[in-house]
Amino acid sequence: MRVFLIGAGQVGSTIVEALHEEHELTVLDTEASRLQAFSSRYDVAVYEGDGTSRKDLAAAGVEHADLVIACTSRDEVNLVAGMFARREAEGATTVIRTSSTEYVELWREGQLDVDFVVSSELETAHAISRILGVPAARQTDVFAEGQVQVGEFDVDRDASPQVLGVPLRDAPIPGDSKVAAIIRGEDTILPGGDDEIRDGDRIVVIGSPGAVKSWSTLLWPEGGAVRDVVIYGAGRVGSAIARVLIAQGISVRMIEASREQALRAAEALPKARVFHASGFDADFLERERIGQAQAGIFAMRDDAKNQYAASLAQVRGIPFTVAIAHEAVSVGAFDRAGIDVSINPRAVTAEEIVRFAHDPRTQQVAMIEGNRYEVLDVTTRESSRYIGMAFRDMPVHGSIIGAIVRNGGAIFPHGDDVLQAGDRVIIFTEAANAPWVVEAL
Amino acid sequence: MSQEVAQIGRPRRLAIDVLAVANLVGTLAKYLGIVTVFPIALALYYGDPVWPYIVTGLGTSGAGYGVERLTAGARSQLGVREGFLVVSAMLLTTAAFASLPYLFAGGEQLDHPIDAYLEGMSAVTTTGASVVTDYDAFSPTLAMWRQFTQWLGGLGIIILAVAILPRLRVGGRQMMESELPGPEIAALGERIRELARVLWAFYIAMTVVLTVLLASLGWLGIDDEMTPYQALAHAFATMPTGGFSPKADSLQGFSAETQWIIALFMFLAGMNFVLLFRGTVRRRPRLFVRDEEFRLYALLVLVASAALLVQIWGYGIAEGEEAVRTAVFQAISIITTTGFATTDFALWPVISLLTLFALMFSGGSAGSTTGSIKVIRHLLLGKVLRRELDQTVSPEVVMPIRYNGASVDERTLRAIAAFILLYVGFWAVGASVIAIDSAISNVPLSPLDTLAVAASALGNGGPGFGITGPFGSFAPLGDVSKITMIVLMWLGRLEIIPVFVLATRHYWRL
Repeated sequence: MRVFLIGAGQVGSTIVEALHEEHELTVLDTEASRLQAFSSRYDVAVYEGDGTSRKDLAAAGVEHADLVIACTSRDEVNLVAGMFARREAEGATTVIRTSSTEYVELWREGQLDVDFVVSSELETAHAISRILGVPAARQTDVFAEGQVQVGEFDVDRDASPQVLGVPLRDAPIPGDSKVAAIIRGEDTILPGGDDEIRDGDRIVVIGSPGAVKSWSTLLWPEGGAVRDVVIYGAGRVGSAIARVLIAQGISVRMIEASREQALRAAEALPKARVFHASGFDADFLERERIGQAQAGIFAMRDDAKNQYAASLAQVRGIPFTVAIAHEAVSVGAFDRAGIDVSINPRAVTAEEIVRFAHDPRTQQVAMIEGNRYEVLDVTTRESSRYIGMAFRDMPVHGSIIGAIVRNGGAIFPHGDDVLQAGDRVIIFTEAANAPWVVEAL
Repeated sequence: MSQEVAQIGRPRRLAIDVLAVANLVGTLAKYLGIVTVFPIALALYYGDPVWPYIVTGLGTSGAGYGVERLTAGARSQLGVREGFLVVSAMLLTTAAFASLPYLFAGGEQLDHPIDAYLEGMSAVTTTGASVVTDYDAFSPTLAMWRQFTQWLGGLGIIILAVAILPRLRVGGRQMMESELPGPEIAALGERIRELARVLWAFYIAMTVVLTVLLASLGWLGIDDEMTPYQALAHAFATMPTGGFSPKADSLQGFSAETQWIIALFMFLAGMNFVLLFRGTVRRRPRLFVRDEEFRLYALLVLVASAALLVQIWGYGIAEGEEAVRTAVFQAISIITTTGFATTDFALWPVISLLTLFALMFSGGSAGSTTGSIKVIRHLLLGKVLRRELDQTVSPEVVMPIRYNGASVDERTLRAIAAFILLYVGFWAVGASVIAIDSAISNVPLSPLDTLAVAASALGNGGPGFGITGPFGSFAPLGDVSKITMIVLMWLGRLEIIPVFVLATRHYWRL
């Protein structure tokens, strides 16, 4: 597939990293220095030019593209670039990134002349709302219209002794779920019944949303359903998170240091309680009993502040912390600092966009552990040699089927179940294996 | 070059253009005189003396024309500053215009200029307080003039002028906002000319409907008292929530059906006309349910009616349908600052008087023809106070005040708080002056009566208690008290601030 990318920022580079091996990429950006860094790292064509200039787009050869992605940090540029690309490359799918939920609404109403709109803020908010539903998880993704959920958990001493060190076949594992992988240090185990979960493991579970929630309770018995959340930072990201959580009936308090920002958030979100205060002000935190919140979400613009505020909040007693890491490197630092979950909005956005570059049979893809693993949602072909095969007989090729969607319903298969043509398969695989898996099914 | 030097050499001490204000007031007065064609026609029909109305009309138009000509050179652009003076001066002018026929044809009871002016001011501010004692002495034309001037003042002369005169297309917005009751929540969305026309058209239509309804009660024999003349007269006093009646006993002599219909139309007149227009003519009845001010207004009417019902039934003043009707009618009449009465409530027990007294501070909705503080200001002040309590506990919490979903500007909220303080302040000062004057001139007013008279005048309500009750008269009051009432009515109709800024030094001086 020929992919044309406008914008070589952080989202752009994450996309390039994910796609450069399988696809022909062209990257357009106004800054020569960024492009230089790109072309030296990846085998991609680069053009210096303006995404809002139709001439530049044409010169870079946009008309040959199958997929056009406008992912600069500026909405207006992405909009204009997307619309020009629509004219220049008629058969191509156009995807634009936006930070405005208003554009997402417009697109849903069919008012924007592009194929897809992806909003970092909205994707981040949804990711956080999923995590709050499964507080023990590092990351979760949903597939098949929400029927199948994939959760990534860190196993520690808090986990229930019923699963810790017990062979999987004997452990009280929720029925509608499957342990897709156990990551132990550098090793990845695609587990069978004899394998066991140990303290320090990281596991990937595929199951029904209910089953993944049960896993969360198994691995972190004290972490109940989150009803009360404090969000630090009431900017675009913070407000988008607040909006999504409020819609789920979660009570939201917000702390914002800028008066105007706080006022804007308070006006836009009548149900949120917004404070104009510093999240580092001990008196304020004490007076408002911030420590009694069940979860703290740190969505300020500065990663360092997010990390410090999260640590302070943990000291105050907030049991569960989720921090936004604007820089990819911060994820590791946050992990070290003991923040429970880190989310990089650009990575989330890139992940969302990368989905469009997959085979049309592949509906959705989640990336786990950076880019080491992927979860794919693939529709099986008539010609696949696995059709009619029972699951127990399937060979293990660095991938494992977690769920199938048949006639609109999700099935969590056991050894006797048989794969049928037209089934949608939710499959966990090493990233390097992904093209092969799609091919084989 | 020389011109510039000349300009620097001549210091301008006034911050406002008084001549331009006089010029506009002159123009408005010139056109105002024209409305005397109505009483002139009426006088010819009834065979009453025509000359008082001709003199009033020609005098007003002539004087207006004269002022306009004299100040013709100063026709500069009117700004926000001049607007306050225009509105304030125009109300004084209109009151004078309304009082002229009383001087010419009012007989003994109105021949004193202060009495005549009070009656005129009471009419154009839609107050309904009257110094008349002998209603039989009025000719039909003069009695109708009283009703008619009240109707004219209801929606306001300036708003009428904005609707009709091309000259007010520029600079009219500010003046219109001063005259339209209620705080400026949002800049009026429509073009003001359009809005002024809609308001007046709607106002006229409602008056016609009410007149026809009342008159048909007379035709159908349901209410023998309700002649077409009485129908028009009472419609003229209901829609502006004025409260004048050509009859000494207000609405007491009319049938239950008439009283119910008038109660309904007082209630409608106490609603926001823009809301009423959109909800009915534009057929969006849901707007009523969603409107916070309307909901509170309706609730207030309900609660006040229930309270009065319990009291008057409990005290055995009335029972059954009559008690319900009396309670609802009186509650609406006082809340909307109309001042009609179906019974002499001045004779009610103290607890009922206190209830009515409290209701005098309510008022109807913004954008209605009612006076007093208005429901929306109470609503927003309540929200501000609640936020104040919240912020006492949590000083950092940010809580924009919302009204109908949109957040309200802090300046507007400050203006509302300031208005209410000024309102209470002027009421207290006014009541004190009336109390002192009454003590000196031996007018039998109790302390509650004094407070009620001031509240009623400032709120453009009408009757007070005691000798100034609904079937009484303000005639026995001293001249100082009457002048105080005139000032209070003037302040109240324009919602204090446009008048009170005239008292600040920096309004006049640079």
